[in-house]
Amino acid sequence: MPEITDKPVTIADYKGDVHPDWCPGCGDFGVLSVLQRALAEMGIPANEVMIVSGIGCSSNLPGFINTYGLHTLHGRSLPIAQGFKLANHAMNVVACGGDGDGYGIGVGHFIHAMRRNIDMTYVVMNNSIYGLTTGQTSPTSGLNMKTKSTPFGNPEMPLNPIALALSAGCSFVARGFSGNPKQLVEIYKAAVKHKGFAYIDTFSPCVTFNKVNTAQFYRDNTYEIEGENHDKTSKAAALERALETDRIGTGIFYVQERSQYEEFEKEVLEKPLVQHELGLSKDLQHKLIEQFV
Amino acid sequence: MSEKKNVIVRIAGAAGDGIASTGELFGKTCSRMGLHVMAYNAYQSAIRGGHVWLQLNVGEEKTRCHGEQPDVALLLNKTSPEVHIPDMKSGGIVFYDISKIKEDLSVIRDDLQYYGLDFKELCDFPGVSPVMVNVLLAGALIQTVGLDTGVSLEFFKEKFTKKGDEIVEVNQKVFNAGVAWAKANTKSGLSLKGDGKKRMFMTGNDAIGMGLLAGGLKSYAAYPMSPATGILHYLSTQAKKAKIIVKQTEDELAAANFAIGAGHAGVRAATATSGGGYCLMVEAVGLAGMLEIPVVLINVQRGGPSTGLPTKQEQADIKLVMGGNGDFPRIVIAPKDVEDAFFQSARALNLAEKYQCPVIILSDLFLSEHYQTVDPFDFSKISIERGKFMKELPAGAARYKRYEVTEDGISPRLMPGAAGHMYCSGSDEHDENGELISDILAGLPRAIDVRMKMHPKRMRKEETMLKENDINLPEIVGPKDAKLTLLGWGSTFDYIEEACETLRADGLSVNHLHFTDLYPMDREKLVEVFNSCNEIVAVENNMSNQMSKLILAETGFELKRFINRFDGEPFTGEYIVNAVKEKELAHA
Ligand SMILES: Cc1ncc(C[n+]2csc(CCOP(=O)(O)OP(=O)(O)O)c2C)c(N)n1
Ligand code: SF4
Ligand SMILES: [Mg+2]
Repeated sequence: MPEITDKPVTIADYKGDVHPDWCPGCGDFGVLSVLQRALAEMGIPANEVMIVSGIGCSSNLPGFINTYGLHTLHGRSLPIAQGFKLANHAMNVVACGGDGDGYGIGVGHFIHAMRRNIDMTYVVMNNSIYGLTTGQTSPTSGLNMKTKSTPFGNPEMPLNPIALALSAGCSFVARGFSGNPKQLVEIYKAAVKHKGFAYIDTFSPCVTFNKVNTAQFYRDNTYEIEGENHDKTSKAAALERALETDRIGTGIFYVQERSQYEEFEKEVLEKPLVQHELGLSKDLQHKLIEQFV
Repeated sequence: MSEKKNVIVRIAGAAGDGIASTGELFGKTCSRMGLHVMAYNAYQSAIRGGHVWLQLNVGEEKTRCHGEQPDVALLLNKTSPEVHIPDMKSGGIVFYDISKIKEDLSVIRDDLQYYGLDFKELCDFPGVSPVMVNVLLAGALIQTVGLDTGVSLEFFKEKFTKKGDEIVEVNQKVFNAGVAWAKANTKSGLSLKGDGKKRMFMTGNDAIGMGLLAGGLKSYAAYPMSPATGILHYLSTQAKKAKIIVKQTEDELAAANFAIGAGHAGVRAATATSGGGYCLMVEAVGLAGMLEIPVVLINVQRGGPSTGLPTKQEQADIKLVMGGNGDFPRIVIAPKDVEDAFFQSARALNLAEKYQCPVIILSDLFLSEHYQTVDPFDFSKISIERGKFMKELPAGAARYKRYEVTEDGISPRLMPGAAGHMYCSGSDEHDENGELISDILAGLPRAIDVRMKMHPKRMRKEETMLKENDINLPEIVGPKDAKLTLLGWGSTFDYIEEACETLRADGLSVNHLHFTDLYPMDREKLVEVFNSCNEIVAVENNMSNQMSKLILAETGFELKRFINRFDGEPFTGEYIVNAVKEKELAHA
């Protein structure tokens, strides 16, 4: 049992007891260690973090990190994370999961979470495949890509999640690559610090079921957008980069300073809901009754 | 027949004709005089143009039914006469708007008294608008029924103060014109005396909302769906005062999961929907069962299947709320009336926290949307009990296990955020610490061992609920040794009571066995109850006898005689009485 002291937070605090059951070489290892590093470097005590995931290989992450965790249903991490956050906004809430989880079965929640702008972070571990179910096409699988469910090639256009996020009103839109931890850790730190809904599409190659979008593929085709003086306050500039087809930008595409959802509930959330006294005052009971008399 | 005095009033017109506001004026005039009102509204889904009517049964004693044949009717549109005149009691009084209804109504029936009011002629003063014709007719109605018109005038004052004195005055003037006209032109001989005790005039949805607040609700999420939407509307208006979060989500999947997230954080959380929306929530209900998260889900049933009869009554979602993949503990409660809906909603929040599982409240369109008078609720009967919930672990406690195996199946529950005791809860099967056994461990002896401990641990909670008497047996109302027992559940309580009273007055030997807690069931005790009855007839507002089938499955006791209604309307006492007589059930 860890001692409760004032000593500085280290990455060791975030190391879980359970060894990840991911395939050796899976991109998710990189995401896990970068997330641990980012949270530790920010000095956030591990018990103040709640990580909520859906279902998929990537959604197993909360079991491998020493924070509070909630491993839920396929596609439902976001509504659960939002319900949690508004109930205890003193916690740092991070939702995570796969591309199938977030862009397939859970895409409705994704869009509305971005509009809503509750203060939390959402990491999608995008491997353009359904890993856990052994390799079917996903919403980000390329056109014509052969997978177990599309042996003659994927007939559907892949989703462009960055462009989707920009148009859905997301206040922090970023993309990273688990094979580029140096950049990724800075993105995650900025995301956790961001006041509002911060979303990071993170390339996290599946070594077992996706032979197209490999680590080498991302090393060959990505570039860091901050290296080209990208203006992250400009939605137009962000959208232009999101729509590039000859290369793939990584970095923080867009940041917007706008009211987070919690500000609309200022009176109710003056302290976390979990700290409210339960039960109604006599005065309020009386008022509730009077309304109907 | 008993001596109590009551009057049945029907108000009918197009949606948008002010049926609801006329009903509110009439209902509140009655409730403030200390009369009892039971109202039921029939409407179509169209916001404007559809035909709508509201029936109110006003009595000097508690009225259990909205009743069958009206004594008095207010008809506000062209469609009204053909629909409602045939339903009237012989000798009844009909007020109507002559600008809309021009034909000779005595052709439809000649045994009623017809009074057409001419708004243009009677309300020829400044500031009026023809849409106020309902207020004119309400004046005539309230005068004719023998109510205290002063109470109505007072109501206008409160209702319209914010809109300014002029609006108050013009309403009062139009109303008074109706009163004066009725005094001069009608004779009804009706008069109703209240007991002077002011009562609330409210719906079941209002009561559910208030009960949740009284029970310490902190987070509510929902997606609009009739007939559950009233709860969302009520709680939205109270959110700032009661300091709760009310969130309209993108769909019911989100609503249920949002509530589950809040429940896991450590606040009391609920969601409500109707059957179709509940279908979308089913996976989440199982999640709450597996992760042992307290949450209250309210299913306000309407006519099904599918989108079904969106604005009509049915009690046909027992199979649905008993569904879900796999086995998990749950509690199902069906409140019997508006007052019960208040107390059960608060109780549901307590039970959810005590047993760390989903608690389902089964209401229905009738219970949730009809208006009735109720005595002000006694909040002091409600206490908030949080079970094995802790915000912090005592100093020096052993390593915390979120899913510790205990005798009663309930593990100590530590609020996420506490220092030093992080745990992860997973929807896959997990061990006492929450660690998954599904992937690499699956099938290994250790994993099988964990499964064989954890699954019974969760299910054991249902046994504990029964052992600790947290689940109420059905109540028996009426003589214990009656020859015939009418078995009902949920919102049909008052109708069955009304039927029993009538049947007993006719000399039959009848009692009433009523379930409000539907699940879990105590097999032994229930069989004893059933065996203590003579002939039992199940009264179900559905076609397939869903409650009777649950009883058979859970207790082995087979019900063989049924009274069903599934035409979209709630029962009435009279309907049940007729069914008993037609089927000669009482002589069985
Ligand atoms: C409601 C529901 N449908 C389907 C599944 C099966 N399922 C589990 S994970 C998954 C897809 C996983 O893909 P992704 O979200 O991209 O995660 P990855 O394994 O690639 O990390 C599916 C279809 C499920 N668990 N629940
Ligand atoms: S199947 Fe793919 S995504 Fe899943 S653990 Fe293996 S490499 Fe990673
Ligand atoms: Mg994937």
